[in-house]
This record gives sequence, C-alpha cells and structure tokens, in this order.
Amino acid sequence: MRKAMVLFASLFAATAWAAGSEDDVPGYILHHVVDSPSFEIEVPLSAPIHLGEIPPIHIPLKADGCALRMTDHGQEVPGLTEGCLDLSITKHTVMMWLAALLLMATLFIWSNRDKTKLVPRGAGANLIEMLVLFVRDELAIKNIGKEEGPRYVPYLLTAFFFVLFMNLLGLVPWMATATGNLAVTASLALCTFVITQAAGIRAAGLGGYLKHLTGGVAPWLWPIMIPVEVLGLFTKPFALTMRLFANMLAGHIVLFFLLGLIFILGHPAVALVSVPFAFAIYLLELFVAFVQAYVFTMLSALFIGMSVAMGHHHDDHGHESEVGPSHDHGKAHHV
Amino acid sequence: MFLPSVLAASNLVKVQPGLIFWTLITFVIVAIVLKMKAWGPILSLVEEREKQIASSIESAKRERAEAEKLLADQKTAIAEARREAAEMMRRNTQEMEKFREELMAKSRKEAEELKLSARREIDEQKAKAIAEVRSMAVDLAMEVAGKLISERMDDSKQRALAEQFVQGLPLNGTSATGAVRRTA
Repeated sequence: MRKAMVLFASLFAATAWAAGSEDDVPGYILHHVVDSPSFEIEVPLSAPIHLGEIPPIHIPLKADGCALRMTDHGQEVPGLTEGCLDLSITKHTVMMWLAALLLMATLFIWSNRDKTKLVPRGAGANLIEMLVLFVRDELAIKNIGKEEGPRYVPYLLTAFFFVLFMNLLGLVPWMATATGNLAVTASLALCTFVITQAAGIRAAGLGGYLKHLTGGVAPWLWPIMIPVEVLGLFTKPFALTMRLFANMLAGHIVLFFLLGLIFILGHPAVALVSVPFAFAIYLLELFVAFVQAYVFTMLSALFIGMSVAMGHHHDDHGHESEVGPSHDHGKAHHV
Repeated sequence: MFLPSVLAASNLVKVQPGLIFWTLITFVIVAIVLKMKAWGPILSLVEEREKQIASSIESAKRERAEAEKLLADQKTAIAEARREAAEMMRRNTQEMEKFREELMAKSRKEAEELKLSARREIDEQKAKAIAEVRSMAVDLAMEVAGKLISERMDDSKQRALAEQFVQGLPLNGTSATGAVRRTA
C-alpha cells in the first residue's frame, strides 16, 4: 500500500515536473475555477487540448450595445448596464447542463421501476429513495411542518439533487464546478427567495405578508422597520448564495494549491507531502459536496418554514396588538 | 503575486447575467421534469407504502387481539369441557355404583326368595312324605295285624272280637268290601 502511494506520488511529481514550465500557479488556479467561454482538456505531459468555443450569444439591448471594445486584458464585451445581454454558453453553463442531464438520467433509471412493487430493489433505487425520504422527513416536514411541508418537497428535492450533482461533477477530472460560480448560486438562492415569498403570501395572505413587512409596530416606526424587514428578506438568499459559492470555490482552490505547492517550491519531493494532502482534501470535498447540498436545502426549508410560520404567527398576533404593544416578533425567526 | 492576480481576474466574483439566465431556465426545467417524472412517482409510491405499512400494522394488531380473544375463548371452552367430562365421569361412577348396589340387592332378594320357596317345598314334600310313610305304616300295621289276626282266628275270644268288628262295619262302601275280601 505504501509502495503504491510512493509510486503514485512520484508519478504525479514527474508529471508535475514535466509540465512545470508555466510557473504562474495562482493564474493557473484561477483559470481553473473561474468561468470561461473556452473549453479545454488537459493531458499530462503535453499541452492542453482546446476544444474550441461555442459561438457567443450577445443580445444588444440598445443599438450597437454589444460592440466589442478593447481593454487592458484584451477584447471585452460590454456589461448588462452598458446595454448588452451576454447569453453565451460558457464552461459552467455546460457543466450545469451536464449535471442536469446526469441528474435526470440517474433519476429516470432508478425511479422507473415496477410501480406495483412498493419496496425499491437495488442499491440505486434504495439510495434515491433514502435521500428523497431524508429530504422529505428531516428537511421539509421538520422545518416547514406536517401540513405545509409536503407542498415544498419537490422544490427542495430538486434543489438538493441539482446542487449535489453540480458539486459532485466538479470533482470529476476535467470537469468544473458550476456551484463555484456566484451567478449559479445566486440564481439558486433567487429560486428559494421566490418560493419563500410565495409561501409567505400563501400562508398569511397578501395583506398579512405586507403587514409583516411593517414588523407590527406603530406606524410612526415604519420608516425604520420596513427597510430592516426588507433587508432581512434579502440577507437570507444572500447567505445561501455566499455559503455555497465560497465553500465550493474554496475547496477547489485548496485542492489546486496543494498540488501547486510542488511548482512553487520547485522540487518533486514536495509531491510526497502535497499529493496525499490533496487526496485527503479531495475526500473531504466529496463529503462537502453532500454537506453543502444538504445545507442549501436545509436553509431553504428553514426559510420557507419561517415564511409559513409567519402567516400563522400573524393570526395570533392580532390579539396581542389589541392588548398592548408587547411584541415577540423574533419568535418567528427561531422556529 | 497571488493577490494582484486575484484582483485582476475580477471574474472570480463577477456575476454573469447570462449564467443567471441559463441557471434559472435549467433549474425550472429540471424541477418541472423531475416533479412529473421522478418526485411524483417516488413520493406517491412512498406514501402508498407508508399507508400500507400503517394499515398492515393496524390489521396485524387487530388480528392479534382477535386471535387472543379466540384463544381465551378456546381455553375457557376446554376448561368447560374438561369440567363437564369430570362431572360426567363422577356421575357415571355414581350411577354404576348405584346400579351395582341395586343389582346386588335384587339378586340377594331373589336368592332369598328362592331359598324360602325351596324350604317351603322341602317342608311340603317332607310333610307329604311323612304322611305317606304314616299311611304306609298304618297299612303295614294293618296287614301285620291282619296276618296276626288270621292265624289266631280259632280263638274264640278273638273270633268274637272280629265278629264284633264286622258287625260294627257299615253295610255298604269300600270298607265293607275290604272287609269282605279280607274275610274271604
């Protein structure tokens, strides 16, 4: 076992040494974790193979909005504020689609079984069902409640598996982590945000929902309260966005950096230390892929649950405000 | 060396509107497709299974209670039957005993009666025999007496006695003929 490890490490080191001509390690790492419109496959001991680029899709929002302009870093497409909507298919877009296809294929294969048999057969079907039941019982019903919980199970399941597959796909060699991109996590958080608000309106009614934004305080306090409440609405999806993005990005940077140490320190022997470390981090990342999918889903369920509880909370609240200004608004946030 | 390049590559924290667009589209499509093709079937199957398990447990409980009730019934029935059988046995032996005693008494009585009748018969026969013996003795005595008498007929005294006897006899009837024959 140890011999195999040493062999593996020295092979790695040799590869690293051979390819060590480019010594811009941070640049290399960044190149790997950020999105880009070009696709390439790296082959050990030789130059990366460029697969070319998908033609960019630029939708000008005003006349001549998408005209390329020259900057210090080369040609650049103007941003959205400058009147150009860039819908180009990038590396992360493709990864996300790949994850979506894999997810759908996996679920079709493992959920398409004899519907008359109520007990799943085989490891795949059992695993899927175990995860589905976990999301339903431990996340949806525990955080949202027995009555309202099942309504949001399909959304939470989709979020969980979609995030999980994107996380795991990023750990496959030559693939990239779509969840390590701020745009992707922000979009997912936006979905949760929309669902959360819809759940709040559904539970409390539009009036109750708007009333909740006032915090239930006296009208002269509203100018203070409403911005605070609105800010509160947006901190939740922001936390979701940053947590998933930072976790996935950081794991991959650490992974790359441990291997990059070989080039920074410039000696093959470093591989004996950094390769086992990188291997350990890789295993940790596998675990983190699950944990972050779980955390994203759990927080989504929690936010939805808070929103649903807000509706029920306001029913009780009406009586309290008649008695006096005593206010336990914070209670809804600790459900 | 690292920090400047991070700052230069502002791509790291740049939010591309295109990717947001594609992510939303992809997510919505995935959610709809999976809800129809995967979550719906899986969840309904799971719910059905849960329902079935719950009802199975319920019915098992019910059946168990029923079985226990049946068993208790059976047990009381067996005890009842056993008690009845014992009762019957007891009654049977009693009856047998009674019957035996009755039979014994009856046979004893019959034997007694038989004995009595036999004794009566014996007495009768004895009496009869005695009477017969007695009559035979008279006859013998008479004959002996007759013989004695006939041998001493010449004695005048006895002749007179006989004549007296004959004279004393009735004129008709068996005794006269007997007397006649005897005299002849």
